[in-house]
Amino acid sequence: MIDSFVTALQTNSLLLSALIGGLASSLVSGIIGSYVVVKRIVFISGSIAHSVLSGIGLSLWLERAKGIEWITPLQGALIAGVLSALLIGWIHLHYKQREDSVIAALWSIGMATGILFISQTPGFNVELTNFLVGNILWVTPDDLSLLYWLDGVILVTVVCLHKRFLAICFDEEQARLQGLHVDALYLLLLVLISVSIVLLIQVVGIILVMTMLTIPPSIANIFTARLSYMMGIAVAISCALCISGMAIAYHFDWPGGATIALTAGLLYIVSLCNSVWKFNK
Amino acid sequence: MKEAIKFDHVNFAYQEAPIIADASFTVVPGEFVGIIGPNGGGKTTLLRLIMGFLAPSSGLIQVYGATPSHAQKHLGYVPQTIRFDKQFPISVLELVLGGLLSRLPWYGFFSKQDVEKARQSLETVGLADMEKRPFGTLSGGQAQRALIARALVGDPELLLLDEPTANVDTRVEMEVYELLKRLQGKMTILMVTHNLNAAIGLVERVLCVQKQITILSPKQVCEHFTLGLYHAPLIKLPSSGAKP
Repeated sequence: MIDSFVTALQTNSLLLSALIGGLASSLVSGIIGSYVVVKRIVFISGSIAHSVLSGIGLSLWLERAKGIEWITPLQGALIAGVLSALLIGWIHLHYKQREDSVIAALWSIGMATGILFISQTPGFNVELTNFLVGNILWVTPDDLSLLYWLDGVILVTVVCLHKRFLAICFDEEQARLQGLHVDALYLLLLVLISVSIVLLIQVVGIILVMTMLTIPPSIANIFTARLSYMMGIAVAISCALCISGMAIAYHFDWPGGATIALTAGLLYIVSLCNSVWKFNK
Repeated sequence: MKEAIKFDHVNFAYQEAPIIADASFTVVPGEFVGIIGPNGGGKTTLLRLIMGFLAPSSGLIQVYGATPSHAQKHLGYVPQTIRFDKQFPISVLELVLGGLLSRLPWYGFFSKQDVEKARQSLETVGLADMEKRPFGTLSGGQAQRALIARALVGDPELLLLDEPTANVDTRVEMEVYELLKRLQGKMTILMVTHNLNAAIGLVERVLCVQKQITILSPKQVCEHFTLGLYHAPLIKLPSSGAKP
């Protein structure tokens, strides 16, 4: 299986681009996903992920129905993701009483808006399926360069702000007492999460994106008790899942995103069983 | 001498419910003050007002002559260990460095001096050999001392402790009080406690917070208080706001 996958990588530039795109996405999924897991904001991240569909739908509708060609679905997703992150962050900071209900409503509204725009878009919308369940082979060279840029921005931001993010994830009161702009850092973290989600949607799609954002860091957390190490291990796991998932998908001719997500889920179950077994031993 | 803390007719209410009513008192630099009161009486609210996390509905609060939000650099805060996530991946040294975040440069790396200072702070609380341990694996007493190290690393003038001996056994409780005894006089200390019996030898004054704030000397704290009962009318109290 591995041999045929390696041979295919050497001969098929589309597959190689897809693998590079997957690895670029894995880098941010391990790093940003670790913040999502330790800050316990998986539900918020899920809402951002699903709101992204509104941007995708709008950009497809503008492109096909109105002839505006300069906006791509990826750019639409990015804009919708960042706006959703800021809105959800504002709700978290100022409307705590009904936070979960409002975030759930935004989750649905985002998806519904996207579906409505797509229903009004002429033609057969293969992009919708690609965005929902992922199609890593669909990554274009332009998308790849945007992926690299966003990877770079996220990496530089995290290197400079990691200790501040660590502080707001662990103890917001102490961070505030130390003069950190806790609310601004929280909003920035949500924006980084939204950008990472858009990157990951290329690989596994909207429906499965939370798998890649949460499972590699959750597995890594079993093996280490330091956030920086957790990020490194999560990146390695995420890359391994991407490669193995793509190899399995190539061999059996399965959908790539679903195969990667399923492999991640199985690995998580095995890791959990192993840690429970060790604990009881 | 400038007061460490000054409350002047301070009121605070959550929505319509009054939590602190007409509180007036001062704390002088270097003093060790115990804070007692029933659950929901306003003890933690009092600390949060001092730290500037809450704004009073009316009245004036000053910390070292400034508004609380402008005096945060003078403060060290020790919260209860129970509120932390034991699974959170953070080492003891990283935790203590959290007390020096105000000095962190924009590029996000602590200087060697700051790291050394954090190590010294761990040595002060007797955790020098545990800097690499995950915070979640520490015992209750060790975790409390690590949080004290974090509060001390920035050389605070005012140390606020919120029930530092809650959920620890008697031996650990004594260790924590022994540590606080060593700090006594070097900084102003305000400590919320449910067990004044053990701390009565340390504190110079006691604030009884039960919506209103009553100020007592340890001598005035009768058996009712040391047993954890807060029946102010049962004992002869000075009027609210008076400094013994």
